[in-house]
Amino acid sequence: MFHLVKITDLVQIKPIDFGKPSYDAIEDNIHEKYSNKVQQNIGLYICLWDILFATEGLIGEGDGMANVNVEFRMVVFRPYKDEIIIARIGKQTAQGIQLRTDFFEDIWVPDYELPDGSEFLPNENDGQGLWVWEEDETKLYFDMNEIVRLRVLFEEWNDQAPTKPREESADVVAPTTDVKPPYRIIGSMKEPGLGCFLWWD
Amino acid sequence: MKIKASQDALLSNYEVYQHIVDQRERNKKRTRRSPKDVFDVTKEVISYLTTKPSPLHNQEETQAYSPNSMMTLMQKLKDAKLSSELTKGEMLTIVNLRPTGEVLLSNIVEDLESRFTEQERATILEIIIEVLGQDEPEEVGEEEEGEEAAEGTN
Repeated sequence: MFHLVKITDLVQIKPIDFGKPSYDAIEDNIHEKYSNKVQQNIGLYICLWDILFATEGLIGEGDGMANVNVEFRMVVFRPYKDEIIIARIGKQTAQGIQLRTDFFEDIWVPDYELPDGSEFLPNENDGQGLWVWEEDETKLYFDMNEIVRLRVLFEEWNDQAPTKPREESADVVAPTTDVKPPYRIIGSMKEPGLGCFLWWD
Repeated sequence: MKIKASQDALLSNYEVYQHIVDQRERNKKRTRRSPKDVFDVTKEVISYLTTKPSPLHNQEETQAYSPNSMMTLMQKLKDAKLSSELTKGEMLTIVNLRPTGEVLLSNIVEDLESRFTEQERATILEIIIEVLGQDEPEEVGEEEEGEEAAEGTN
């Protein structure tokens, strides 16, 4: 679920931070740049694990910042393929169920990866709905916010780098507001033992 | 910026938990504040790791996990002379989820039934409970607690 990524980077410490102990200044700088951000094909950065090596700070010309080359390791969230993880039920649609953890929201279980015999019950009142799994005449509900176990099948990366503006032409359709998440985990709850943990424990 | 190793080492949930707890403790002692992003994300990770059914949900009181847990677990499983060896990934997930029943164990361990005899499966579960502990059985009130926790995050 979590692992370490080893990185080398140039850390630039602003003069205002010169009062901090060097370790703190480097740590804050790295945390500001990386924490809570997704990097393509790496995962979601959580926090610094350790600093392996740092050069002397060299003051740059013009801006007065201390330039330090640092080699460090970051804690990263990126479950591996086939790993069993715990998450909570978020949004449900006829296409599947969106799951989230407290710190990561883009986990998706498509309808065909739900247990056989699952059915989507739309709710006319609020436009939302609920998945129900019927097994041996027992109805088991995928209730909102319920904690579930799932198996990680694969991951999906969508680069968020801005693209250059397209030249306007007559056949331009309205831009889609549908933004794809930078990192999405696709999972399954099909096998026995997966799904709401209260069903099994 | 350059990535030197995209996967330098695997971490168990316990190690991440302990690292964040230690870091917070250090900051608290020196009344130092972390930048907002790291403060938020580490808080959320701790909240995730301490929500039931995560085995770390009562780590603060029970201290069921210790830095040696993983080594002890591996050694005991090795001493049990099982007919097949558990892979690194399986071992890690066992430590993270602490299965105490065969259903969850069979999700974690591939081909569980063909690799281990019934007796061995029972031994594996016994060793897990011995080293990592288990939740006190509490039939009453468990469901309520789950719902309360769910409401809390809304």
